Amino acid sequence: MTQEQSRNQAVEAQADSTGANNGEEGAEGAESAPLGKRRWRLSRRGFLIGMGAAGASLAVGAYFGRPALHLYMAENLAASEPAGSSFMQLDSDPPLWLEVLEDSRIRLSVVKVEMGQGVHTSIAQIAVEELGISWADLVVAQADTTSGLVDGFGTGGSLSVAASYDPLRKAAAGLRSLLQREAAAELGVSEAALRVEGRGFVVADGPAARADFYSLAAALSSWDFPEEEQLALKPADEFTVIGQPVARVDVPDKVTGQAVYGYDMRMPEMLYGAVARPPTLEATLLNASPGEAEAIEGVEAFVIDVENGFAGVAARSRSAAWAAVNSMETEWDEGHLWQQEEIDALIEPAGEGGVTIQREGNAEAALGKGTTVLATYYTPFAVQAPLEAPAALADFQDGQVRVWVSTQFQERAKGQIAEALGVETETVQVVPTYLGGGFGSKLDTRVAIEAARLSKAAGAPVHVGWDRVEAMHNGYLRPPTKNVLSGALDESGRIIAVEHLQGSSDVAFSFLPGFLSLVMGADFGATIAARVEYDVPNRTVTAWRRTLPVWTGWWRGLGLFPNTFAVESFIDELAAAAGADPLQFRLDHLPESRAGARMRAVLEAVAELSDWGRPPAAGRARGIACHMSNTMVAEVAEISVDETTGEISVHELACAVDCGLVVNPDGAKAQIEGNVMWGVGSTLIEQAYVKDGRLELNNFESYPLLTMREAPNVRSVLVDTGIKTPYGMGEPPIGPVGAAVANAFTAATGRRIRTLPMTPARVLEALA
Amino acid sequence: MELNVNGRSYTLDVPAEERLLWVLRDWLGLTGTKYGCGVGICGACTVHINGAAVRSCLMPLAAVSGAEIRTIEGLAERDGGGELTLHPVQQAFIDHQVPQCGWCMSGQIMQAVSFLERNPLPSEEETVRAMSGNYCRCGCYVRILQAVQQAAGRAAGEEAAT
Repeated sequence: MTQEQSRNQAVEAQADSTGANNGEEGAEGAESAPLGKRRWRLSRRGFLIGMGAAGASLAVGAYFGRPALHLYMAENLAASEPAGSSFMQLDSDPPLWLEVLEDSRIRLSVVKVEMGQGVHTSIAQIAVEELGISWADLVVAQADTTSGLVDGFGTGGSLSVAASYDPLRKAAAGLRSLLQREAAAELGVSEAALRVEGRGFVVADGPAARADFYSLAAALSSWDFPEEEQLALKPADEFTVIGQPVARVDVPDKVTGQAVYGYDMRMPEMLYGAVARPPTLEATLLNASPGEAEAIEGVEAFVIDVENGFAGVAARSRSAAWAAVNSMETEWDEGHLWQQEEIDALIEPAGEGGVTIQREGNAEAALGKGTTVLATYYTPFAVQAPLEAPAALADFQDGQVRVWVSTQFQERAKGQIAEALGVETETVQVVPTYLGGGFGSKLDTRVAIEAARLSKAAGAPVHVGWDRVEAMHNGYLRPPTKNVLSGALDESGRIIAVEHLQGSSDVAFSFLPGFLSLVMGADFGATIAARVEYDVPNRTVTAWRRTLPVWTGWWRGLGLFPNTFAVESFIDELAAAAGADPLQFRLDHLPESRAGARMRAVLEAVAELSDWGRPPAAGRARGIACHMSNTMVAEVAEISVDETTGEISVHELACAVDCGLVVNPDGAKAQIEGNVMWGVGSTLIEQAYVKDGRLELNNFESYPLLTMREAPNVRSVLVDTGIKTPYGMGEPPIGPVGAAVANAFTAATGRRIRTLPMTPARVLEALA
Repeated sequence: MELNVNGRSYTLDVPAEERLLWVLRDWLGLTGTKYGCGVGICGACTVHINGAAVRSCLMPLAAVSGAEIRTIEGLAERDGGGELTLHPVQQAFIDHQVPQCGWCMSGQIMQAVSFLERNPLPSEEETVRAMSGNYCRCGCYVRILQAVQQAAGRAAGEEAAT
């Protein structure tokens, strides 16, 4: 299989210019407004059928349907989704297309970007499976914002495969069916007598006649997309591609240095840009002028827009741009100089404004009875720190702007660039490149706007690449979270009540329309995994969302890591109070439901994988934790503690996951491994804090990342409990890591650490 | 200023204090060498200078003029017909499906190649020590270790021969 990405794709997409359309859902056969050069119609089921783009013939597009999105969103939005919310509406343009190319290969164009999660490979597997073609005959192309594909959600939320699975299978099966019908007519046989061979159909046991896809597509006499019940989707037990550890399509270019990322984009005569950054969290720009920067060799243009807080420069080298921006004269109002203690006081989960997100029974009343346990947990600010800092290349020419950028949300970038430049969105083309990591941070699109503004001023292509310190200071962070948990046990050691009070800041709400936050109250991003999923008769979860002077937002797993650290540490504290084995205690409190049964299977799998039933080697201790959502995760950490230095070593991390149908098991395991490293880093090392009005962050010396030396060995098992569709995999395994390590620490030392990260200083304090 | 990169000579009009990383990327277009931190911590910019793995983000151009510089682009060998033969370390990284986002991988591979050239049969512990200066934010450490050990001709976890 080949993959089209970045530079080549940019050229192709230029020829593939399409305008907006006004497609209406559910109008069988209705001709819609022209989609650029494409002629297309919308089937009753929401599939688009039309003429392909340049070099292609027939095209079939599919939406990520509302039901697929709901797999993920329903859990988080619950009943609070306002009726008629535009957030949940289908976009008018589809997010994926299948097209028949002139050489009869099939091209799959996708909006989802490749940031290391292997999505282009997984999606290709789904298409190849239903098309019945060989791997080599599929081309995967990254769509840009002018290719007639729209993704109003961005790439994130571990949603890409889950949301694409059903519509892509149906689109692929539908395309195959359209072609098969035509082939039957052309070859004069029944459809059933045909099978796919190479890039066309042959008669199974008949004459040596064949019909290639392209000639069939060109001659297509009927554009009636098959009804859903007529689509012969392949039964799961006949899958030969889905479920296989297919080698990733992007890997060869990534070991030879050929993969092109936003930071790597180049054009002839390009300049390099840099932008002045606020010195404090609340700083506003009062005045700016070029000052001595004007005299620096190689400086070509300045953009100074005090009203919008923008002062930037374009120069002939990156060093000249960075030197120039540091020499510009800027005057700032620094605002209030915040301290971390003030911020921690803000997220106290008490007082006005709490939103109850779960209430069963009467926890308040029940907490007065039996054995009561109370504990408070804290997780600090954290940075995503993808190793590729934000970067974009913009080329503004003749009122048109093209931007290549490492982004998780090209559609958002397009709109914001148009707004910043004061041009129509149709004049803006945003081309996503490979991402050198995202982890939520690259939903931010400012670097693309900066490059576009500077390019417009300089009259030349401008590349803006942030340096590490800029990236540390100017993105949004995982907010700090405080969790206050109370629980009560009856005489038999069963949990009769849990109350969870959670305080944090905006995560999803930083990026959603304001009306949604007003309606919903609790930020579903910050409160993921805050619910108590165990079978407890009285449970209440209340969340406080406080606006902080620090910009907070998406970070791998959102609130999953902080909340699971708190809840699953607390479950161990309850188990200890009950004198129960932590694994058995969890099993004993699983709900009598399908979800409970799946969680049980996953817990049992991790117990076997980690040898839970036998004592660990001398000097080591184990801890267990789990996470219940669509994707079920259970993890056991095996650690040792150096009581002299206070260092915790995580030696082994065993992880069992049921993420539903697995499209690429090797890719799934890679996601487990990566999430475990993130979790261990957050548990032992990572923290950011505010001092004197700014983040006390500089380069990696002040925010070190986990290295191979601290990395545990990771063993994982994928558990099949019969779920027939894929669930998210890019984030769930991060959840239980913190609690598994903290629980192991208690097993090792008899002490409990409730504040992350578990630094040597905190360990020594706990042991004192 | 004379520069020898991947066996090719370049004459450049670049300020002598410019860092090698940006010369490779922005002047020569060799963008396989990545910027991660600019202060020598993360290892994404690792290249070989006279066979030794160094952080190109710290290296002023003047210090490497005349030296033999090798980057990720010069690691695989291309024969007369254009056919690419990957370095055993690159092949091992494919075999173990190591990269996720891939941004750190040029640095990881250059670090590993230089290490194995000096220590062809390392113990797992030696490999961990040699590779612990290279960040991988995606967290591919389990596979990096396996791949480097495989490239060294031994399965991960196996003890050193002597």
